[in-house]
Amino acid sequence: MSSPAAEAHAHAAEHPVEHMPTGLNTKKLIMWLFLASDCMFFGTLITTHLIYRKIYANLGVDPIEIFDIELTTASSFILLMSSLFMALAVSAIHKGNVKSFRWNLIGVIVFGGLFLAGQVYEFNHFVHYSGLTLESGTFGSTFYLMTGTHGVHVALGILWLLSWLIYSYTPRFNSAEHAIDVETAGLYWHFVDIVWIVIFTAVYLIEYV
Amino acid sequence: MSDAATASPHHDDPQFLKEEQKKYFTFMNLAFLMTALTGIELVIIFLPFPGSLLIFGSLIFLSLVKFVGVIFWFMHLIYDKKLLTVIFLFGMTLAAGTATALMFLFSESHVDQELPFYQEGLIQEAQDESGP
Amino acid sequence: MKSETTFQSTTMAPPVESPVHEPPVDRPAGRPRSNIGLVRPDGRGFLVDWLTTVDHKKIGIMYFVFAMGFFLVGGIEALLIRAQLAVAENNLVSPQTYNQLFTMHGTTMIFLAVMPLSSAFFNLLIPLQIGARDVAFPRLNAFSLWTFVAGAVIINLSWFFQAAEALGWFGVAGGHTDMVPAVGWFGYAPLTMTEYSGIGTDFWIFGLQVLGIASIAAALNFIVTIINFRAPGMKMMRLPVFTWMTLITSLLIIFAFPPITVALGQVMFDRFFGTSFFNVEGGGQPILWQHLFWIFGHPEVYILILPAMGIISEILPTFSRKPLFGYSLVVFSGAVIGFLGFAVWSHHMFTTGLGKVATAAFSLLTMAIAVPTGVKIFNWIGTLWGGRIKFSVPMVLALGFIFMFMMGGFSGIMHSSAPADAQQQDSYFVVAHFHYVLIGGSILAILAGTYFWLPKFTGRMWYGSLGYWMSGLVLVGFNLTFFPMHFLGLIGMPRRTHSYLEGTGWQPLNIVCTIGAFLLAFGILLFLIDLIRTVRKGPPAGNDPWDGRTLEWSIPSPPPVYNFAKTPVVKARDALWADKHGSSRQKLGGVESGSHGIHMPSNSWMPLVASAGLLLVGVSMALKQAGVPFCGYLAIGGLVITTVGIYLWALEGPGGYHLHPRPNEGGARS
Repeated sequence: MSSPAAEAHAHAAEHPVEHMPTGLNTKKLIMWLFLASDCMFFGTLITTHLIYRKIYANLGVDPIEIFDIELTTASSFILLMSSLFMALAVSAIHKGNVKSFRWNLIGVIVFGGLFLAGQVYEFNHFVHYSGLTLESGTFGSTFYLMTGTHGVHVALGILWLLSWLIYSYTPRFNSAEHAIDVETAGLYWHFVDIVWIVIFTAVYLIEYV
Repeated sequence: MSDAATASPHHDDPQFLKEEQKKYFTFMNLAFLMTALTGIELVIIFLPFPGSLLIFGSLIFLSLVKFVGVIFWFMHLIYDKKLLTVIFLFGMTLAAGTATALMFLFSESHVDQELPFYQEGLIQEAQDESGP
Repeated sequence: MKSETTFQSTTMAPPVESPVHEPPVDRPAGRPRSNIGLVRPDGRGFLVDWLTTVDHKKIGIMYFVFAMGFFLVGGIEALLIRAQLAVAENNLVSPQTYNQLFTMHGTTMIFLAVMPLSSAFFNLLIPLQIGARDVAFPRLNAFSLWTFVAGAVIINLSWFFQAAEALGWFGVAGGHTDMVPAVGWFGYAPLTMTEYSGIGTDFWIFGLQVLGIASIAAALNFIVTIINFRAPGMKMMRLPVFTWMTLITSLLIIFAFPPITVALGQVMFDRFFGTSFFNVEGGGQPILWQHLFWIFGHPEVYILILPAMGIISEILPTFSRKPLFGYSLVVFSGAVIGFLGFAVWSHHMFTTGLGKVATAAFSLLTMAIAVPTGVKIFNWIGTLWGGRIKFSVPMVLALGFIFMFMMGGFSGIMHSSAPADAQQQDSYFVVAHFHYVLIGGSILAILAGTYFWLPKFTGRMWYGSLGYWMSGLVLVGFNLTFFPMHFLGLIGMPRRTHSYLEGTGWQPLNIVCTIGAFLLAFGILLFLIDLIRTVRKGPPAGNDPWDGRTLEWSIPSPPPVYNFAKTPVVKARDALWADKHGSSRQKLGGVESGSHGIHMPSNSWMPLVASAGLLLVGVSMALKQAGVPFCGYLAIGGLVITTVGIYLWALEGPGGYHLHPRPNEGGARS
C-alpha cells in the first residue's frame, strides 16, 4: 500500500472532500438530494394513477379480478428482504469484511432479480389472461407506466450493484475507499424499496378495501 | 487530510465494531417486523368490515411504519446528520402535498359521463378483440 | 519528487500580457493514462482542451457562448413574429410557420437562453464566491453542459428537417408536414397527440427531456457545492446573495423538473405506444397535462428570475458603496418565493373552471407571493438610499431591472385576481406581463451581470460609452415593444394570433411594437459588439475594478486555473469588503495548500460521450416517429453509448496533477 501510485490514488480519492463545513459526505449528500427529487418523480406517476382511479368508477373490469394479491405480497416481501441484505452489505463493507459484503450483495441481486421475474410474470399474465394492455384505457396506461418505471429502477439498481460485485474482485477495489460508494448505491436501492412500499399500498391493497 | 466523514472504516476500532454488531440485530429485527406487517396487510384486506375506514387507515398506517423503518434505519438517517433527513423529508412533503392537492382538484363530477369510454370501460373492449 | 521551486516572474505582471501565471506543474512523465489504460486528454490542443475540460470557468464560458447563440436564434424568431404582426392581414409567414416560430421562440428563450445564461453565471461565480477550487463534481458539470447542448441541438435540428421537407427531400408518409414544434411552449394536450401535430412535437418532447437531465444534474452539483465546499468561515449567512439565490434556484430545479419529466414521458407513450394519458378517446384528461405542466412551469418562472435577483443584489451594493440593506430578509424572501412557487401553479388555469374553493385558494397564495417580492424591492431601494451611487453601466441596467421588474410584478398581481385574469387570459396583456419579467427582469440582469463580471473573466475592461448607448436602446426598445401590448390585450388582441383584421383597431399599436422590437434587437447587437471589442482590445481590468465585496475580486483577472492559491478563511459577510475596509479582526485569512500543492483533476472525454448518446436517442426517436427505418435501433445504440460513457467515466478515476502557485500569487489577500 505504500507504493507512490497507491498513495496518489488514495489522495485523489480523498481530494473531493477536502473542506466540508457540514461534515457530510459529498456523494451521500448528492444521492439524498437526488432521492428527494425522485420523490416528486414517483409522486407524479402514482398520483396520475390515483387520479384516474378516482374519477373513473367504471374501468370495464374490476382490478381485484386482475390482481393476484398473494403474488404481489410475495414480491413485496422479496424486495424487503433484498433491502435487509443491502443494509447488511453496507454494514459489512464498513467493517472491512469483504467476504460478507459479497455474499450479502449477491443476496440483494438475487432477490432483486426475483422481484423483476415476478413483475415480468405479472405483466405477462395481465396482458394474456386479463387483456390489460397499455392501450386499454387509462388504467392500463397508468398501471404499466408506473410499475414499469419502478421495474426499470430495480433493473438499474441490479446493474449498479452487480458492477460493484464484479469490481470487488479487481485489484483496485479497496473496502476503505469504496465503502461510501457502496453505501450510496445502497441508498438508491432502499429508495426503490420504499417506492414499492407506497405502490403496494396505494395501488394494490387499496383496491380491496 | 482524512476526514471523519469519509467513511474510512475503523476495522480495528472495537467501539465501531460493537456498534455495527448492534446495527446487525437492529436490521434483523426490523426486517422481521416489516415481514410481519406485510403479512398483516395481506390479511386485513380480507376482513369483512363494512365501511372499511378502519382498514383504510390501518393500511396507510402500516405502510407508513414500513416507510419510516426503511428510511431511518436501513438508510441510516438516524445515524447520520440531520440535514439529510431535512432534505429528504422536504422532497417527500412537497410530493405528498402536491399529490394531495391534485387529488382534491380532480373529481368524478367533472367527467362527462355520457362519453363511451365511461359507459363501457376500455378493458372489456380489448378483451373482446383478443379473446377467443 | 515534488519540485519546491517557486515560479520566478516579474511581480505585478499586467494581466492582459500574460493572463495566466503558469505555476510549476507536477505531472507524471509521459502521456497520462486513466485507471483503465486510456490516454487522458490532458495538455492537448485548443479544441480537445475545451471539449474535455472539467474547469468550471471554461464550462461557464461555454454555457455563455452557446446560450448567447441560442438567444440570437430566439431573437430572430421574435423579429419574424413582430414583422408578421406589423400590419393587419399580413402574410409574410404562413400560419404553420408562425405557430412554429412562437413555439420555438418561447422554448428557445426559456430553456436554451435564459436558463443556460443563468447556468453560465452559476458556473463562473459559485466556486469563486464560496472560495472553492471547483464544483463538487467537475465531470458531472461537464456532462450538464454537453447534455444541455445535446438537448438544444435536438430541438433545433427540427428546422433542418423542415427545410428538407420544403425542398422535397424528406417527408412523413401520410402524416403531417410540420417538422418543427408548433404546439406552444407549454404543449397543451390534446394538441400533442399524433392526430394533431407532427414530429416537431417529438423533437420537442425529447429535447426537453434531455434538457431536464442537464438541468437536474447541474442543480444537484451546485447544491452539493454550496452546502459542502464553502471555504472555512463561510457560514451560510455569510454567503453572497447570488450564491443563496443559486442554491434556491437549484432546489427549485430538482423538485420542479421531475413532474415534467413524467408528463413528457406520458405524452411520449401516448404518441409511441397508444396509451391514454391525455388521449380523450381512451379516457385521458387533457387538463391533467395542464396541471403537471404548471406544477413544473410555475417554479420554472422563479428558476428564471431568482438568479437575476441574485445578480442585482450583488451589483446594487457595490455601486452604492453600502452593504445590502436587510441581507437576511432578502435571503429569506428568496426562499419564501421559491417555496410558495410550488403552491400556485393553478393560477395559470383559472379559466379552466377549477371550482370556487380551488380558485380562491390559488388566488390568495398567488397574491401572497407579492409580499416577499415587494420586500426584496424595498430592500434594494433601501440599499440605494443614502448610498454614494456610481452610474456605471451595470448599475444603470440594474436600476432598469428594478423599475421594469416592478412593472411586470404589478401586472402579475392583476392576474392573481381570478376575475381579472379571465379577461386577460391568452391575450397580449399576458404577453406584456411575462416579457416585462423575463426581459425587463432576467435579461436586463444578465446584461448587467455581464458588464459587471466581464472584467473578472476576460481580464479586460469595457470602455467608452457604447455600454450606455446599449442600455438606453435596450430599455427604450423594450418598453416601446411591450408597453403597448398591455393595451392591445385589453382591447382584445389574442395571444398567438397569426394575423388580424383591418377594422380591429389593433393596427397602430402593433406597428409601434414592431419598431420597438427592432430597436431592442439593435440594442442587443450593440451589446454583442461591445462584448467582442472588449474581449479583443479592452484595457487591463485589474483584480478589483469595482472595489468589490465578494471573494472573486480577491484573485487575479482572469482567475488562474486553480482559483485560490491559498484557501481563503472568511471572517465576515461581504468577505472582501470587510477585509479592505473593516476592522483588523475581519481580515481574510489563508490556508496554504501544503507541500503537495493544489490537486487538479484531469480532463475527460466521458461526459461528452455520455451526452452524445443522449443526442442520438433524441434525434432517432423523433425520426422513428417519422417512419425512418432502423431508428429504433439507433436510439438503443444511443442508450448504449451513454451507458458505456458512464461506465468508462466511473472506471477512469479523476486522475490529476498538482500545481504549486507562488505563495503570494492570487488567492486570499495577504
